[in-house]
Amino acid sequence: MSSRRSRASVSEEEINELISRLQTLLPSAPRRGSSSQASTTKLLKETCSYIKSLHREVDDLSDRLSDLMATMDHNSPGAEIIRSLLR
Amino acid sequence: MAAKRTAPPPPPPTPNPIPNRRALASGAGSASPSKRMLAFHFLRALSRISSATPVACRTRTIRRAAYFSMARAASPRRSWSRALLRQVRVRRAVRSRRAVLMRRRVVSAAPAPPLGVRSISAGQITSAPLAGAPPPRQAGEPARADALRRLVPGGGEMEYCSLLEETADYVRCLRAQVQLMQGLVDLFSGQ
Repeated sequence: MSSRRSRASVSEEEINELISRLQTLLPSAPRRGSSSQASTTKLLKETCSYIKSLHREVDDLSDRLSDLMATMDHNSPGAEIIRSLLR
Repeated sequence: MAAKRTAPPPPPPTPNPIPNRRALASGAGSASPSKRMLAFHFLRALSRISSATPVACRTRTIRRAAYFSMARAASPRRSWSRALLRQVRVRRAVRSRRAVLMRRRVVSAAPAPPLGVRSISAGQITSAPLAGAPPPRQAGEPARADALRRLVPGGGEMEYCSLLEETADYVRCLRAQVQLMQGLVDLFSGQ
């Protein structure tokens, strides 16, 4: 599982490619950035804030879901829908 | 118990869930085949919750179920999913141990549980900071990577290159989970 890499350092290109792939995932418009340190840092910072905002959304949505489920009866149509989706 | 006796108007039986499912299925083809697995795991967890949990900690349970089903649906090759599942197991063991400790503390003065335990039980899903195991720094790795390591589960021990890969996959799965939950909320509130 933990295979040792033969080369000591990962090539710069691979890192840049991974970073550009990350950039396409982010919601902000892709910048024609150079592979300098500054834009990488900014990209990482954006990724951090994006992940944090996604966490917050999950929290918020689970809060709303719990409210919605609380107002539902157990045998109500909502549970029926869940069961039908699972089938 | 504000249970509504008058039944709410029943929605149309089958066609209602189907657009949702089709949306899920169409999304499954484009992004990754795991959207359906995600929906399956999460919905199953939800249906289990609705029957068995008290209302007070339901939000926390739902959130935990969300991350847990996300980790289940992801390929186990991904180390973030393994780290998440490990956290769940640890948390369960910790909770049972804490229950025992609390009971013992009532009887005698037992030592307080360590700090790491408390941070996990506070409901955080981030990777617990490893004491005395510095993350491997690589050439060209910016300082920001540390913050990223803390956010992505299991990120404290990865190399920089794999950290980037894991982050991309984690972001994709998180987004899919958010879309799924949003769809569910819309579905339920639109009744």
